[in-house]
Amino acid sequence: MFQFSAAVSNPHRIHYDRRWAIETEGYPDIVVQGHMQAALLARAVTDWAGPRGRLVRFAMQNRGAAFADEALRFEGVVSAVSEAEGETVVELDLVAMKEDGTVLGPGTATVTIRDRGAHEGVDKWG
Amino acid sequence: MPQLLITDEARAFVGVDVPLGTGIVSRREFQRWAAALDDWNPLYFDDEFAREYGYREAVAPALFIGCVTRSPVALGSLRPDGLPAQPSSGMVPLPYTPRYMAGGDVWEFLASAYDGDRITASRRIVALEQKEGRSGPFVIITGRTSYVNQDNVTIALCTDTILARK
Repeated sequence: MFQFSAAVSNPHRIHYDRRWAIETEGYPDIVVQGHMQAALLARAVTDWAGPRGRLVRFAMQNRGAAFADEALRFEGVVSAVSEAEGETVVELDLVAMKEDGTVLGPGTATVTIRDRGAHEGVDKWG
Repeated sequence: MPQLLITDEARAFVGVDVPLGTGIVSRREFQRWAAALDDWNPLYFDDEFAREYGYREAVAPALFIGCVTRSPVALGSLRPDGLPAQPSSGMVPLPYTPRYMAGGDVWEFLASAYDGDRITASRRIVALEQKEGRSGPFVIITGRTSYVNQDNVTIALCTDTILARK
């Protein structure tokens, strides 16, 4: 969490100063950055999609806070599949949650997956 | 009649583009971002691997683009809780609802970002809406940020919602 705050230049104390988070702001522990929750949910999508997949749309709502040392789960279900221009377009319903099922954020994503070989010699993705 | 929370001053912000800054995409910075997530996707680290899949070279993680244009902040300007004393540009003054809570983001990724790309971000408020909630009236601020590279190619668009409460 400290490394993520550093990587995005986020100086908010609730993400790294345990005493401040607990004693001054009343949280149970340091607070997981909202952007880190989103980035981890997006990572679950790109891990699933593999290198032929490209994340073209990603949405997440903020519904709850997570705290240091809590285990989080990131899940997705394919909601639609279509074909367009040699690519498979996959729509996903996503959710980030705690192990007890508390939802941190529902989300959606669209991934395009290039058909095998379709990318040969083509730098379509710039 | 319910109190009007959206002032004329706030309404004047709707539809106006506000520059957020310009920043250079750095391979070291986007790899550091990925490493903080323990995300060792070779598309972000291995040029040859990335080229095999149609990219020019190792590519920045899509969501990384959101922090490229953040400027360094002077330590002396931070409040005790670490947040900048001055609200970031692109925000809208809502004097009756000073407590802001991020509602969520919708990202559209239109092109890839690479090491050395010069990204310019600008944000506009697209809507201000007063709503009645269980704990009283609040305002939904909808903003849209565009990230455009040195060739005037839009890399990403992010629509965000912020709830402003009393």
